[in-house]
Amino acid sequence: MKRIHHDLKKVQKLERKKYHPLIHQVHKKHQISKRTLFYIKEYGSHSHVPRTIIRESIKILIFASILSSLGGLAFEQIKEIFISITPLIILLPTLNGMIGGYGGIFSSKFATLLHEHKQKETLKKALKKLMLQLLIISLITAFSASLLALGISSLKHPATPNLAAKIIAITLIDTLLLITILFCISIGAGIYVWKKQEDPNNFLIPITTSIADFGNMIILAVLIVLFF
Amino acid sequence: MEKKKESLFDSNFREILASELVSIAGGLIAGSLLAWYTNQLILLPGILILLPGFLEMRGNISGSFASRISSGLFLKVIKPNRIKTHIIKGNLLASFFLALVVSLTLGILAFAFNYFFLQLVTWKIIIIPLIAGIIANAIEIPLTLFTTLYLFKKGYDPNNIMAPFITSTGDVISIVALLIGVFIL
Repeated sequence: MKRIHHDLKKVQKLERKKYHPLIHQVHKKHQISKRTLFYIKEYGSHSHVPRTIIRESIKILIFASILSSLGGLAFEQIKEIFISITPLIILLPTLNGMIGGYGGIFSSKFATLLHEHKQKETLKKALKKLMLQLLIISLITAFSASLLALGISSLKHPATPNLAAKIIAITLIDTLLLITILFCISIGAGIYVWKKQEDPNNFLIPITTSIADFGNMIILAVLIVLFF
Repeated sequence: MEKKKESLFDSNFREILASELVSIAGGLIAGSLLAWYTNQLILLPGILILLPGFLEMRGNISGSFASRISSGLFLKVIKPNRIKTHIIKGNLLASFFLALVVSLTLGILAFAFNYFFLQLVTWKIIIIPLIAGIIANAIEIPLTLFTTLYLFKKGYDPNNIMAPFITSTGDVISIVALLIGVFIL
């Protein structure tokens, strides 16, 4: 036990950025998972926790803010049409959260599949199943959300059948297009990052959620102009 | 053929569907608030520029915060009954700081886009997200911490529950905070 504490103290003192063979040695010797050792190295008593978190997150957060603001700018241009369609105002936060959520789920599950070192055929099969599942779920949730938004907005102004059909169509097209784009980006970027021997989790999740938000605003803006 | 269909609609399918249905409920409440206060909020020049980023912030900051705390709990580096540790304090401090920086960035970006693309000078658009960011994160970050610790103590995996929880509560809290920011100014 004393030996473990001694070795863990040594891990804590390692420089944060570099991979050190000591991690592998402690992992082999004491059967402590590499994840635990990574956490100890990253947030151990020697490290300045806020500085570590801020340094690792700030760049991607600012990048995500710029991307989201660009998407928002597209929407600001069609503000007048947008605010005249109440169901779309109700749907906006839902669509943003929902599509970003699917991007996050797909990325993290794809990263796990890569980490599991499955054979090419098994990986393909698992990936196909995951894509089908997410497509079905996204269509169910998009359809339900648009129906609920129409129901809520009808308390103020009941929607005509034509408007209702347009809202449902916009929601479904937007969701389908973005989910497909996110699949392609996640798979391409995930394999690229994986081949560089880095953890796809750290890159894929923030990038897919930002692209989902940005893409959602742009595609939604285009669809609103096309339909109205 | 039947076997294939069965495997497609497995527990994974049900879990994702259930969590997404919960998170769209929060989004719809937030959207209804937006629709209700359209004149006060959406008509403000530049608000739609910062709105997507402001809504995304709670996932990016509180989501990562919950995920780091969960990892620490599972790795036994964080104890659910001890809050005043350097890891938790450091996480809280970093999350608040990041929230302030992101809110200010969003405000500055909205101001710049307003100025360059719409030829409007609206200083309010910098202050509103800053005030709203402080209010929203003063609620959201402690709520995330206590919910994560509570779920872990009750034997649940916070990773499965926190994402939809943060999305649904965060949407509502963010819109209310933005409204408060607008009303204050």
